[in-house]
Amino acid sequence: MSPFTQIPSRLRSALRNLFTRSRVERELDADVRAYADLLADEKVGAGMDHSAARRAALVELGGIERVKDEVREVRTGALLETTARDIRYAIRTLARRPGFTIVAVIALALGIGATSAIFSVVNGVLLRPLPYRDPDGLVVILHEGRNPVAPANYLDWKRQTSMFSAFGAAEYWSGTVTGDITERVHGLKVTSDVLSMTGVSPLLGRSFRAGDDVGTGDQPIILSWGYWQRRFAGRRDVLGTSLIVSGSSYTVVGVMPRGFDFPMFWAGNAEVWTPLALGERETSRQSQSLRLFARLRPGTSLQAAQAQMSAIAANLERAFPGTNPAVTVTPLSTMVVGDVRTALLVLLGAVGFVLLIACANVAHMLLARASARHREMTVRLALGASRARLLRQLLTESVVLALAGGALGITLARLGLRTLVALAGASLPRADAIGLDFKVLVVTTVISLLTGLGFGLLPALRVSRSEMSEALRDGARGSTDGAGRSRIRSVLVASETALALVLLAGAGLAIRSFAALRAIDPGFDPRGVLSAVISLYGTAEAPPGRREAFYTSTLERVRRLPGVESASLINHLPVAGDIWGLHFLIEGRPRPRPADVPRATFRVVYPGYFATMRLPLLRGRDVAETDRGNAPRVVVVNDFLARRYWPNEDAVGKRVAFDPSAAEPTWFTVVGVVKNDVQSDWSAPPDAEVFLPYRQEQSYLESDGGHVGFMTLVVRASCSDARACNPASLAPAIRDVIGSLDRSVPVTDVVTMEDVITGATARPRFTLVLLATFAAVALVLAAVGIYGVISYAVSRRTHEIGVRVALGASPGAVVRLIVAQGMRVVTVGVAIGLVGALIASRLMTQLVYGVRVTDPTTYAGVAALLGAVALVASYIPARRATRIDPLVAMRTD
Amino acid sequence: MADRQTNLLQGTLDLLILKSLALGELHGLGVARRVEQITRGTFQVKPGSLFPALYRMEEAGWLTSSWGASENNRRAKFYKLTAAGRRQLDAETTEWKRIAVAIGFALQAT
Repeated sequence: MSPFTQIPSRLRSALRNLFTRSRVERELDADVRAYADLLADEKVGAGMDHSAARRAALVELGGIERVKDEVREVRTGALLETTARDIRYAIRTLARRPGFTIVAVIALALGIGATSAIFSVVNGVLLRPLPYRDPDGLVVILHEGRNPVAPANYLDWKRQTSMFSAFGAAEYWSGTVTGDITERVHGLKVTSDVLSMTGVSPLLGRSFRAGDDVGTGDQPIILSWGYWQRRFAGRRDVLGTSLIVSGSSYTVVGVMPRGFDFPMFWAGNAEVWTPLALGERETSRQSQSLRLFARLRPGTSLQAAQAQMSAIAANLERAFPGTNPAVTVTPLSTMVVGDVRTALLVLLGAVGFVLLIACANVAHMLLARASARHREMTVRLALGASRARLLRQLLTESVVLALAGGALGITLARLGLRTLVALAGASLPRADAIGLDFKVLVVTTVISLLTGLGFGLLPALRVSRSEMSEALRDGARGSTDGAGRSRIRSVLVASETALALVLLAGAGLAIRSFAALRAIDPGFDPRGVLSAVISLYGTAEAPPGRREAFYTSTLERVRRLPGVESASLINHLPVAGDIWGLHFLIEGRPRPRPADVPRATFRVVYPGYFATMRLPLLRGRDVAETDRGNAPRVVVVNDFLARRYWPNEDAVGKRVAFDPSAAEPTWFTVVGVVKNDVQSDWSAPPDAEVFLPYRQEQSYLESDGGHVGFMTLVVRASCSDARACNPASLAPAIRDVIGSLDRSVPVTDVVTMEDVITGATARPRFTLVLLATFAAVALVLAAVGIYGVISYAVSRRTHEIGVRVALGASPGAVVRLIVAQGMRVVTVGVAIGLVGALIASRLMTQLVYGVRVTDPTTYAGVAALLGAVALVASYIPARRATRIDPLVAMRTD
Repeated sequence: MADRQTNLLQGTLDLLILKSLALGELHGLGVARRVEQITRGTFQVKPGSLFPALYRMEEAGWLTSSWGASENNRRAKFYKLTAAGRRQLDAETTEWKRIAVAIGFALQAT
């Protein structure tokens, strides 16, 4: 019985069966016919007459075709062969009905394409591991999940912890590179183990090593691939080259490989890395500027590391109150993916619904066709085809349909992905990892196959179960549809409606939420404002005596430019810029405990900033030209701060100090109160904010640090109509003005305030656009489904309607009859959909702003929309029914 | 009847066909008649079972076939055991006897 000895013989048979099929078939036919002939001869020999013997022989044989079919089933390669035959047959059948085929393939392509596109995004962003060595071991250590850490804490933590095999810190910095071209460069200062922690080796040269971080003299610098290409045109001999950044000398020791990006969730524009030297800051627990990266020791759990870090921080907090708020140890991948995870999973669910709706649609298209093919199937059953055989053939047909849809879907996904990534912009992390890779293709193929089986199974089961008698009856008289099939079609339409409603509800919530986000009053008027960063650090204008004069002459010249209404300067632009905090004391109040000292966002401005931004002054005055030097120190506060600390009095005239630990504080008089503005996070609630005049701000006037070496210019274009205003056109003139003062001063980040705000709402817009697109597709598919079912019903009921009209039914009554049939099903679908949407809405909680996920208006609105579309979709075929001529109708069949 | 019996005893049909061809080549109807004869009419092999079995066994290399003339001069396909087919017959015969003895014991047990 050894099956192995059969292999050569089987192989020969398989080849013969596949390649000389016609001969094999002829022989089989002759063989079976010979049997019948011999059997008939036997019966003639037994005394039967010739034709009776022949008939009896054929009856005993049970049909020549049937016997042949059973032989075909057992032949080696039979499955392959019948499948090939089924596919050929399916393609011929589909090609004969191009209308049906095209509509079905398009519906499937939309579903499969959208699913593939979203899956590609999920694959690239969520599933693919980060491109570092053993990325699961990398963690980020911060205060409260997002706030940076002070140097002294970093050093204490590093000394006391035992959970990590590497523990380093990084600090964001930027500087001005001088030389042939003066430009601003952003980078990270890192301790020596940060880059090596990633396991990514430099393309050229070396990584940092212990001893690199002395912080004095010539320092090493490592370039990103992009910066190396841009500044050094990719020259291989770049190692050893000297680079002057903000007046300090650096030597290029390495170049990172193309695409290297670390840590991905922050400092995305970093292009160079230099060693972090803490120097005298080592003892500081105040300046929180470090983000810590560590690698868990093998076998150490995140929970254990978190517990130990919390304990260490709690001890330090006892020793130095107010310096060690909660410490969080977060996997790097979580930081990178962040809250986009929920959005992507919701989108994946939504797109799955679209696919289901497409399936339901094609399923009832197939059902409608199944009735037309009833006779074909009955004939084949009568000729002896087995039901399993018919089922397999019908399923092959739907799988062929689905694969065609999948092929077109992949093409759509390719196009869609490009749009999608462009639409997402910076709001999607790891966008470069998104693409149609092998995994996506495999998933798409599997989805297509499952889809084909999914929508094909039901119609195929029904068809292959057809009863001959039923077929004869149905074929003979155009009766009302069989009750069973009509119920299935109703169930399909109701499910489609329900799924579409869930999607519409999601899209409705996204739209309302986005509208709420757009309706947020940023406090200022962004239209018509252009901003640009002017960096003096490292240039000839940087010395303390020169910088203020440079800014002043820049402002004077910019204000004189044609088309400029006003201009001013601020250290950090709201929404886009950094936010620094400053602790303050209020005069005449008891000194709070260190942990309770109030804090406010710290801005440094030139006079005219509020007017330029149209940030209304509620009380008092703007900082003035006279607020300089030895004049009394002044400050403008925002409404939030004023109300919070002087709830029942006027803040103007009160005094605050920004050196809470000093024995003799320097007092600043509040001279104005401005409206609250959006500081950084677009939808964050208002927070305290103070504006200090640049000309009185010692750190900005005198400090040498790069962090105070730049200001942001804001310019309001003079436009008669704010909507048609194009402040971006002012950019060349502004660059010229600054260039004419000093060619070496870089002007960067030139961007309109409107673009800044668009960027801040990019992610909700991304979610919104996709959800709305899916919902629209779902709505169209559902409408097509309802339309299809009703027109089918009308065509099946032609006879009945003819009789009704002949008996005097008015066109209105006929329309009502048909439409009511459709709307009954739709109502059930809407009701189920509402329940489903309420359940699914919980997933949306994190994604919406300013609207409750159970918002009744939204639900009522989308239900009404769907109902209206369904009404139209059933009205069109219903109207056709009224045009039925009773005489013709009753004569049909 | 024959169909049901074939289902009852998987592999019986193969053994019977092999056995019926042990004495010489036969065409399809001949095989059916010989099986009937050697089982004294207990097994009637219908074409719907016979032909798939013949083709399957031929593809397994146990049978070969050739076209020839029947006793009453009809052109028919004659099936013949190959060396592998004889080995298969021996193997299945031994196996069958073993099972028959075992079942016999089982049925005698009280």
